[in-house]
Amino acid sequence: MNPAFAYIYDDFLSDRRFEREISILETELASRGVEGQVARLAMFRSARETIIDLACAGAKNIVFVGNDKTVEKMMWFLPDVGVTVGYIPLTKPAHIGTLLGIPMGLSAVDVLAARLVETIDVGKLDDRYFLTEVIVPATVASLEVEGQYRVSPAVGGAIAVRNLGSVSGKIPVAADPKDGWLEAIIQTRVNGDRWLGKSPLDETTIRLKRGTIISKEPIDVFMDGHTVNGFSFKLSIVPNKLKVITGKGRETSGRAT
Amino acid sequence: MFNSKHGSSYDGKASDEGATTVIARGVKVEGEFTSQSDVLIEGEVHGTFSTAGMLTVGSEAKIKADVKAGSAMVSGTIEGNVIVTKHLDVKATAKIMGDVTTETVMIESGAILSGRMTVGVKPSGAAATVAAESPRGRINGRERVPVLASES
Repeated sequence: MNPAFAYIYDDFLSDRRFEREISILETELASRGVEGQVARLAMFRSARETIIDLACAGAKNIVFVGNDKTVEKMMWFLPDVGVTVGYIPLTKPAHIGTLLGIPMGLSAVDVLAARLVETIDVGKLDDRYFLTEVIVPATVASLEVEGQYRVSPAVGGAIAVRNLGSVSGKIPVAADPKDGWLEAIIQTRVNGDRWLGKSPLDETTIRLKRGTIISKEPIDVFMDGHTVNGFSFKLSIVPNKLKVITGKGRETSGRAT
Repeated sequence: MFNSKHGSSYDGKASDEGATTVIARGVKVEGEFTSQSDVLIEGEVHGTFSTAGMLTVGSEAKIKADVKAGSAMVSGTIEGNVIVTKHLDVKATAKIMGDVTTETVMIESGAILSGRMTVGVKPSGAAATVAAESPRGRINGRERVPVLASES
């Protein structure tokens, strides 16, 4: 067993239908010399304590096995643990894998074994980290940028603030998580030529290091699978905060393929 | 894997230079907007606006602000003074209500300019002030002798 590696299996992988796949995965990891201690997420077990225990036991690389939701459960605290993060997506949604250049299934072991490590930025919403994006759908909120100016969409416009990229749609959209900036996308539906009965969407794009989402009414904000509610949310970028094992051949912006 | 947009990795001194900022239709910006990058405006801007890059003001854009830009192409409406370091391109649909200062300018027929226009900077630092417009353009609402000003 390689003490530098530890694996976090998501709860759903306890299902019998994953037994064979997990068995093959563990054999493959052993053959590459990257097998390690395994911990399983469970409903009444703290993921944070589990990871900190593994790090204290000497694990330098903690690999999440599951899907995007597995990674999202950890991201709010993970950058402070100080470990290198790996990801083996076994089921969909696996957009984070796509954005990190990691294929779904056993092919992800090739990426893990190659151990190409990159240090990326993470975003922060108030005191919680986020990896992918913050979404404020159909909002009355405004985005205050760098304390200098305020951007307000027409009523019903949506605000997304991206670090790694968007994973909420059918196709992931990449942003650059190494540029030291957050990318704010504000979508508004405007009058004009209608297509399939809908007005066209216009996108405002702004880069920022610090900002505040402000609303006169309480709003829901979605970040890495979590929902928070409130009137005001501080946004910031923390450059070079998280080490991740990545694959090759990923676009840094635009729709990922 | 994460090849930087700007050809190098993040070095802790990130600049937004090179990335285009877009203010789309249906969006209003209020306050002191500053940028190092190219900016495209199709929406509304109120306050002050400054960019070191290329400013493109779309035909539906409405700017109520003093504007500073490295270079600019204006098709929409600006209410405020405009200072352009290099070249200003004023399209036929443009309406600028304020003083304009630029090194070189190109004004299309039909553009409306209301204010003082200063074009070109001589080696001594003195600027040449000219009435610049197209044959069918108007300055201060009056037909003027057309001058296509370009002086460096």
